[in-house]
Amino acid sequence: MVSDSTINASIPNVSKDFGKKKRANRSAKLKQCKLDARREQWLSQVKNKNCKEEVNVPVVGGGKFNGPAIVTWKKAAQCCKVLEVDNPGVEEISHHFSDSESSPSNSPTNALVGASDANQGHNSNSNLSPGRETAEGLNFEGQLPICENVDAQLEKSKSVGVGILGRGSENCKAWRPDDAFRPQSLPNLAKQHSFPTGAERLQGFGNPWVRNNMTPRVPTSCPICCEDLDLTDSSFLPCPCGFHLCLFCHKRILEEDSRCPGCRKEYASEPVEKEASVSGGSLTIRLARSCSMSSSRV
Amino acid sequence: MAAMNGGYSDNTPAADPAGPPAKQNVAPAKTVDTQSVLKRLQSELMSLMMSGDPGISAFPEEDNIFNWKGTIHGSKETVFEGTEYKLSLSFPADYPFKPPKVKFETGCFHPNVDVFGNICLDILQDKWSSAYDVRTILLSIQSLLGEPNTSSPLNTQAAALWSNQEEYRKMVEKLYNKPAA
Repeated sequence: MVSDSTINASIPNVSKDFGKKKRANRSAKLKQCKLDARREQWLSQVKNKNCKEEVNVPVVGGGKFNGPAIVTWKKAAQCCKVLEVDNPGVEEISHHFSDSESSPSNSPTNALVGASDANQGHNSNSNLSPGRETAEGLNFEGQLPICENVDAQLEKSKSVGVGILGRGSENCKAWRPDDAFRPQSLPNLAKQHSFPTGAERLQGFGNPWVRNNMTPRVPTSCPICCEDLDLTDSSFLPCPCGFHLCLFCHKRILEEDSRCPGCRKEYASEPVEKEASVSGGSLTIRLARSCSMSSSRV
Repeated sequence: MAAMNGGYSDNTPAADPAGPPAKQNVAPAKTVDTQSVLKRLQSELMSLMMSGDPGISAFPEEDNIFNWKGTIHGSKETVFEGTEYKLSLSFPADYPFKPPKVKFETGCFHPNVDVFGNICLDILQDKWSSAYDVRTILLSIQSLLGEPNTSSPLNTQAAALWSNQEEYRKMVEKLYNKPAA
């Protein structure tokens, strides 16, 4: 398995083994959940394409693999919640699971495999269609290692000190912004947030709360004129000292003594470009515009 | 006055998309932007009242938010302990890009305060920064009381006496007239 090795690279063997011993029983239940989730996915793909190769490719290949894996991860988190709360039997888990599966808005699966999946998913939940069995038979060996890695990730996150319960809700939070534009950009997003990035990266990347804690605090209003800072203003850092102010006040100061109010040093003719809080293409473009504007004035 | 330069003096976030291009066309910095000065002063008043710093206070005069009256209490363990000084702060129309004019209303025997109450403090002159506000001004003056700059005094007598703290304290007590509330 190609993708298998990349996944293993980010997981310390110690915690993996440790976690497995400790929670062999629980992980078996988890595995069951995740297998169910994956069966759902593969099923819809098989139904769409009805082709063996098409089914096998996602398991091995990097790009296609990531999407389903993420979904499984989220599902796993959901199941973990159930496990944490009342530790039910496997049947109950799968019951919970199919509940979340059948509601299209809650589950990323549907967005992933397309709108037609909503109906198919419903059918296959209640009775095993031939297509489902095909998918199962073809992919069971392929899926299992992936699911084990999911377990290992979960175990690791526990051993690191992040409760699975909290982890699950975190995940939801991290994914919510993406849901809006999921249909077009899902493959890329899935790649960014995929397992091999590791638990720490996943947290820092997707969770706005963590991000806010890590970056210095940006004031919500301009300290000079007390007007609210918009996105352009709050990402505008004209001085290396990090003093934030709005573009209007900055312009005004440039016209007068041209010194930063924060450190009294003269503003450089080219303002420091720095992304303050949000990273993303659109922001960089805005920054470039504001910077070119101020530099043309100087 | 807001009509003079449209989007610039409005300073509303809603006007932002039009803001940056309009900025370049904006006329000279001399344009008085009373609205934003008002907002700034109101915001300062709010934060000053919320901060609850001991020993300083300030409040606008009844009819004019551009004129404030402030009070400073002499810090403990200085020769000014137990004294209270009234000050007037007068904000220019281009505040905070220009410093306010700050004067002692109560006579203050201090090396950097002259007989008219003028204060020689760098942050009120060339070291002014628009990031300063009433609160930091008053705190600076409060700390100036206990730590004068005797090398460039406005009151040479006070500067000369500063080295003798006991005598200085006596002088402060002698000259101090508690301001009328």
